Amino acid sequence: MNLMLQIWAGYARLTRRWPGIAAVIPFIPVLALWTAVSEAGLFPRAFFPGPADVVRAFFTLTYKGILPDYLQDSLIRLATGAAVGMALGIPLGVLIGTSRWAHRICWPVLLFFQAIGDIAWLPILLIWFGFGLTTMTFVIVYTVLFPVVLNTVLGVESVPRDLARAALSLGASRARVLWEVTLPGALPNIITGLRNGLGYGWRALIAVEMIVGTSGIGFMMFDARRAGSTVEILLGMIILGLLWYIVDAWILAPLERATGQRWGLVTS
Amino acid sequence: MKTLSLRNLGKTYFDPYAGAHVTAVHDVSLDVEPGEFISVVGPSGCGKTTILNMIAGFIPYSKGDILLDGKPVHGPGPERGVVFQSFALFPWKTVLDNVGFGPKMRGVPKAERDRIAREYLALAGLSHAAHRYPNELSGGMQQRVGVVRALANNPDVLLMDEPFASVDAQTRMTLQEELTRIWQERKPTVIFITHDVAEAVFLANRVVVLSKGRVLDEIAVDLPRPRVWDDLVRDDHFKQLSARVLQMVRAA
Repeated sequence: MNLMLQIWAGYARLTRRWPGIAAVIPFIPVLALWTAVSEAGLFPRAFFPGPADVVRAFFTLTYKGILPDYLQDSLIRLATGAAVGMALGIPLGVLIGTSRWAHRICWPVLLFFQAIGDIAWLPILLIWFGFGLTTMTFVIVYTVLFPVVLNTVLGVESVPRDLARAALSLGASRARVLWEVTLPGALPNIITGLRNGLGYGWRALIAVEMIVGTSGIGFMMFDARRAGSTVEILLGMIILGLLWYIVDAWILAPLERATGQRWGLVTS
Repeated sequence: MKTLSLRNLGKTYFDPYAGAHVTAVHDVSLDVEPGEFISVVGPSGCGKTTILNMIAGFIPYSKGDILLDGKPVHGPGPERGVVFQSFALFPWKTVLDNVGFGPKMRGVPKAERDRIAREYLALAGLSHAAHRYPNELSGGMQQRVGVVRALANNPDVLLMDEPFASVDAQTRMTLQEELTRIWQERKPTVIFITHDVAEAVFLANRVVVLSKGRVLDEIAVDLPRPRVWDDLVRDDHFKQLSARVLQMVRAA
């Protein structure tokens, strides 16, 4: 019992010093189980490879230059999609959030198209644009757009009316109110929207790469299926999870905290 | 400094749910002299906040005129500063930047508006809080910031809408005393909306009693200044005035 408490205390001190460790530790049993199952030889190696095989594949593919190239392709597509999605989504969200007429007109349309999921667009997009970058970009922008728009609207509408009134009474023009009050007030929600949008976009991207891709992580995994290479499929899956963890936990979540919690807009 | 006058001011709006026109303010006329402190009291629904919102320019008025130095006012503007019951501080700006917001909108350079903001923060005893964010302050401190933010913009009229209604009783008394002190130092023209009779009498030169969208009566408050609660709670004249106002409000 005493030993358990000591282990707990040691863990608490360790994770306070290096918070990253707290994220790694839960994966130890998963890895252990995976190793045990693969080493036990229940399944053929080629069918169920172990962690060591995946690590080896990682180094081989990195050495050949395939993995870095594909990773770069996927990330650039995601970044482009996110940038275009924000460039369209934030102004649209602000417009819908500030104008009652824009809200009445756009809201039902928005909900209608939100229901048509990203992948549901693929058949018609393939006819229109063929297998290529246009189709992929469309799907990612589409996926990122809705969470950004909907959360921006939510954010704009959540800014207390008195704040805009206060700014006007202090001599701000309507444009200054937008810049000084509406946008900062909506910012925590906009970041939440971006966080959700990137999460959905990342998943949509992989799916689209599998179908229309000629490169990218999704393509790598689907291509590996053709060659029957389970190692590369598993490697792709692990990369997807790891990469998202890094983007979300190290970039987006701190950004969200830095705005909302600092200002007391979000209760921590 | 300019004179504010309300001439037969009225507000009627259409209530789509009731399907009828509702008159919040019938006919209000009032002249406010420069440097005057006016309290407007009345029961809930007497139209006092509606009047303030019309003067501030937040809502349009349906009849009459609001004149500032003879010129009609429409829409919000920096010559009419507002202190809100909800404080309405910008949560993403430090206290210093909140107070400097008005000068910033006028295009005052950063160094100069910081100097102005610091001067007004000192006036409210808030110099130590300049770099904090509003959510790190108590309610009383937040409203001190709200008051000096409006004052730092040098408005012709300061409009205060039940500004101390959401702070605790002790803090409220302190804030009231500070407000009278600041008013004596700076002599801004103030219209102060409240439902608290003692507060109205304590602060004002003149108390206007509203009832059902009309001015019921006005009472001049000739109590000497500086006013502090410790003296006034025992002061017979203060008690008489408060009792008279209270009687009118309750009959309203």
